[in-house]
Amino acid sequence: MKFKKMGLLTDPGAGRGKLTQVLVCHHSKLCALSYIGGVIWFTLLARDAFNAGTYFSENALLPGLVKEEFDESAIAKTYLSEINDEADRYPDAVPYPWLIAKLKQLNLDTYTHNFTLHYPLGPGRKFTGKNVYGILRAPRGASTEALVLTVPYRPPNSIHPTTAPSLALALSLAKFFRKQKYWAKDIIFLVTEHEQLGVQAWLEAYHGVSCGRDGVLDAGSLSGRGGSIQAAINLEIHSDQVASIDVKIEGLNGQLPNLDLVNLVHRMCLKEGIRHTFKDRDDPRDSETYEGWMHAFHTLMLMVFTQASGVPNGNHGLFHRVVERVFRSLNNLLERFHQSFFFYLLPATDRYISIGMYMPPLGMIGGGLLIKAFVLWLKMQEDKESSPYSEKSRRDGGEVEEKRENGDSDKEAKIAEDKEENKEKGNNDEELRDEECSKLPNPASFKEQGVQSIRNGLAWACAVFLSAHVIGLALLSSTKGITVIGYEYLGLPTEFSLFIGFVIASLLLIVLFPVVCSSASEKPSPCKSQSNGTEWAPFLNIAALLELATVLLAISMHNFSLGLVYAVVFTPSALWIAPTKSRFGIEAVTIEGFAPKVKSKTSPAGFYQLGKLRKGIQRILWLPLQPIILLVIVSLIYTAVMFPEEFAHFDQSFLTRAFSAASNALTFSVVDSYAYGSWFKAVSQSRAKPGALGGKETTSFQPHIAFLSG
Amino acid sequence: MRPTSAFYVVYLFVNCLKFGFSEFNKDRFHEELLIKPLLGGRIYSYFQFTTIWDEEFKSESFHHCHLFPRALGEVVARHNVRELHISLTQGTWRHEKWGYPVVDAPPGAELWVWFKDDTKDVDSEWKHLTGALSGLLCASLNFIGGSNSLSPEMSFTPSGRVEDYGNGKLNSSYLKYATLPREVVCTENLTPWKKLLPCDTKIGLSTLLNAGYIYNTNYLSLGIHLKPICRDEECSTSSIELKQTVSLVYDTAIVGNGCQNWSLRSLFGRGLEGHCPLASSSMIYVDISQNTSSFAFRLDPPPDNIITTLRGGQIGQLAAYDISQMPSYPLFNLAAHHIPPSCVNLGVNIPPPLFHASRYIIGYGQERGGIVTRVYNNHRQELEVLYFENIPWFLPVYMHSLHITSNGKSIEPLKKRYKPGVERKRPYYLEILLKLPPRSVTEISFNFDYIFLKWQEYPPDANHGFYVGSAVLTTYLPYARNYTASPMDGSLIASSFNNGSKHGYIVQLRTEVLLVSLPTPDFSMPYNVICLACTVVALAFGPLHNITTKRLMLTNIQKRGALDWIRSKFWWKAKVKSD
Repeated sequence: MKFKKMGLLTDPGAGRGKLTQVLVCHHSKLCALSYIGGVIWFTLLARDAFNAGTYFSENALLPGLVKEEFDESAIAKTYLSEINDEADRYPDAVPYPWLIAKLKQLNLDTYTHNFTLHYPLGPGRKFTGKNVYGILRAPRGASTEALVLTVPYRPPNSIHPTTAPSLALALSLAKFFRKQKYWAKDIIFLVTEHEQLGVQAWLEAYHGVSCGRDGVLDAGSLSGRGGSIQAAINLEIHSDQVASIDVKIEGLNGQLPNLDLVNLVHRMCLKEGIRHTFKDRDDPRDSETYEGWMHAFHTLMLMVFTQASGVPNGNHGLFHRVVERVFRSLNNLLERFHQSFFFYLLPATDRYISIGMYMPPLGMIGGGLLIKAFVLWLKMQEDKESSPYSEKSRRDGGEVEEKRENGDSDKEAKIAEDKEENKEKGNNDEELRDEECSKLPNPASFKEQGVQSIRNGLAWACAVFLSAHVIGLALLSSTKGITVIGYEYLGLPTEFSLFIGFVIASLLLIVLFPVVCSSASEKPSPCKSQSNGTEWAPFLNIAALLELATVLLAISMHNFSLGLVYAVVFTPSALWIAPTKSRFGIEAVTIEGFAPKVKSKTSPAGFYQLGKLRKGIQRILWLPLQPIILLVIVSLIYTAVMFPEEFAHFDQSFLTRAFSAASNALTFSVVDSYAYGSWFKAVSQSRAKPGALGGKETTSFQPHIAFLSG
Repeated sequence: MRPTSAFYVVYLFVNCLKFGFSEFNKDRFHEELLIKPLLGGRIYSYFQFTTIWDEEFKSESFHHCHLFPRALGEVVARHNVRELHISLTQGTWRHEKWGYPVVDAPPGAELWVWFKDDTKDVDSEWKHLTGALSGLLCASLNFIGGSNSLSPEMSFTPSGRVEDYGNGKLNSSYLKYATLPREVVCTENLTPWKKLLPCDTKIGLSTLLNAGYIYNTNYLSLGIHLKPICRDEECSTSSIELKQTVSLVYDTAIVGNGCQNWSLRSLFGRGLEGHCPLASSSMIYVDISQNTSSFAFRLDPPPDNIITTLRGGQIGQLAAYDISQMPSYPLFNLAAHHIPPSCVNLGVNIPPPLFHASRYIIGYGQERGGIVTRVYNNHRQELEVLYFENIPWFLPVYMHSLHITSNGKSIEPLKKRYKPGVERKRPYYLEILLKLPPRSVTEISFNFDYIFLKWQEYPPDANHGFYVGSAVLTTYLPYARNYTASPMDGSLIASSFNNGSKHGYIVQLRTEVLLVSLPTPDFSMPYNVICLACTVVALAFGPLHNITTKRLMLTNIQKRGALDWIRSKFWWKAKVKSD
């Protein structure tokens, strides 16, 4: 009763239940259990018993009724040889005259599309590109709907494998499709330049929008259109002998196509007897065995990592009869895809895990954060109650404790029970509490102190919280400035100046934050408020935990894989760093308290307290989670995996390679976010396609910014 | 007795014949077919069946019909119609590639009607007229009502003879315009349409209209156009003109045997048996203006007669066939054989028309969007263009966002008419008169919101999307390039051959229709919820009701004899009585 008058935010009596006590006592075990349980549950999802077989939701696709008639294989070969001849003539560019002539010969409505990329990081650098597309006007439609078949053209000088066979196939398909009378949707054959950039520019121009930052990608304008796009398929075949088809589905920012579309492709391959894979992996032979589960789980994790990167994996490969069947099925569609799942994970080509199945494990993993925040809040209440008179209450031992428990937790039940028998006992209870309070040294001053300390604590916590976010935001928006400074004053290349800039910023933060805080905590206020020193640390910790949990769940609704990776990496550290009433003192708790929020930036602050093993481990744990360090570590591991022979020597060339991978990853992610509006750069992921390595890699950086822009 | 009655019957019959012959003199019927090769191996064939009836456009006139379809006449007379235009279309006309058709029509159904000035309640006449026409043509025209009809002020002036309007101004409240962009045109519309013809499909050019073949086209448009015309030069008296039209665009890649060759048999599935005996003229014209050395084809049989046309500075050539002179056996088959080089050629090289337009939706997501219309003026002079937009009520439009830019510069409209729509009552109406700069691309754009409808307003295939009808652009072209439309003062195709006009050539073109995906609720969810809820209620209701309404009481169980039982019955009755 008294405590309510103190103006606390919640009723402190509320947390006195038996359950609460259990929670407070065993919260660390509970959190660990829920984390481990969540992870195990997720791994189990790859088992058939925990996922479901795929099925067609949209009946209108009529995949079984489509009879393929494609008979232009011979012309495809002719086209391929012509393309190869043309490619020799234009080693760096798309053979536009030939391509346009071919499309026009097929009597398609042929148009070209010019776009410009103003490189966001260097001053005044411009790249131009040109797409070519032909529209097959549907005889049975009024250009209200369209299907798109895209082929990225790669000139011989490109670092990627050639796509000439897919262009030949697309043209032969166009020739075949042209003669059919059943099309009800326009079919757009799009040949793009510059990989995903070309497609992005074309789509932006088609819809008259700009996804990235203004003025970075100038999408130009289109002179021919074909209604609203219902489905799109990207064709990438690297040789004229196709052994198998791999279906790639991950789009920008982890978006996935409707599961019906994916199923359709797999079903058509099955019908044609073509080997079809997901993530270049066949389905497990016997899914009930351990090997079968391992196989499915491996496939699942490959999808998780690709999706988490938020970078479209582009090359969506198919084959001619399959393509014909797929387009005929899509042509049957009456409504746009809406029936089946948009949120799913695939452990095999014919199994899926729906959002209802994969969210609970993540909830368990992230749930620990909420439990911990709750327990911290309860503890803070307890501290507030006990600290001013803690000596007293400790001296008195269990007696007061017991009485209070009677008074609080069982009060209501008791009152109800006692009503008929003994009404005085309730009054006794009140008296007892009054008595207890009267024993306090100075109730009035304590009250003031409490309010004051909470206000100070809140204010200070808010300030730290806000400044951490502001710094993150500043860093995010400083990319251009950093490169311009690096380029103009130091003559450094973009990647290098960006990387160095981020390293410097991170180091500054690592050093500055602890210094500010420690200097603040030496003073009695405001870092520590009055005599009671714990005030702002728990606030910050609770806020950070809550934010982390909320953001995890929010991200996972958008891009589950990213949320999962993030949860698995950050949750244990956030849980482990507990502001217990440990013997390491208040300062350590303070700093650890907001560590989950600001990530590793401030955690090394505890270095002046080295020597304590646990704290030391915690600090070391946080250090790699510093985004830039994480990036470097992942790059090192990646390079070591890709070039084991160099790793064996471990010399300078290996380090250079790893370093260039890291800096390229950073640069690409920044450019991606400018050009495509890929917010995962901001969230935490970046892709690296180091020119020398020609591969892909997923690295994590800037997680703190995630919360702001995500 | 017997001979007298026989005589009476004969007398009556002769009288009828006499009456009939007198009617013969008053109306004439013409059947014509124009075939024109288009760019990209497409063949445009246009049928026109014209009935001209020298009778005043009055309700009483339609009491006795001869060649004029009585079914239509009754509807027109009853609803006080002055002028009527219906089109039912599948596919969209591509002006950029194909030039201008004789009669332009938007995808779906379009209906515009001028009512007579003495019509009392235009709205109710309109409603009833659409209902009647819906029955007449088996089309969903009955879905036309106040919520999708407009009375545009400028774009749709009467195309026929205009009687004196009191103050010399048109009162557009007597005009009703509506489109149904979603209407699917099929055989069920063709059959009743054909029944309006004097010869039905028994004989004549209309026998070529086989549903099995003409629905394999890229574009199909049925039309009925009824208007009063001047009977003579002075225009003191009027006649009634009914044009029934069919526009078809074939793709030789689909229907032909390659090489862009075509014949009546490949296009329509059969040859021509003969002409309609009721027709005053039966003609087939083939446009051979493009039959040059680079794109050469040979007509078989060779034409009776080659007509050289001169219209608006354009010289053209037409091969004419008079069907009425053909023997009915063997079937007449007209074929075009391409001479080899043109087999691999791209087809006729038609320069792009002076004026065309395209329209599309911008934006993504389901919150905000925009509609952009790009109008191309390829002429070296300015063009005055009338732009008419008809936006359904479920697409709330922001007029402040209306921007008209031409080659990057914003231009001001000369005239602007705007009437905001009202949800579920009235569509948004916008009409703009613009001056297009020479050789320019003008963009007319405005923004709209996506809104939620009431759940019952969604069609069964809600996720298909909702259609927005065509915009209509009207202008006068100085040249008749790519132009085939009939002149204002002529009824037949033949009358357009050497008919220059100093006022220019009116072109009215319709843009593409748009498909908008409005935010759609998950309709399977309520279904699941209802199923689940019903099951739960069914299972839970019984026990719950049982538990909550029954009271457990201790009773003494006594052995009761028959007498007790009877007494209890009586006691109960007694209690009821006492109540």
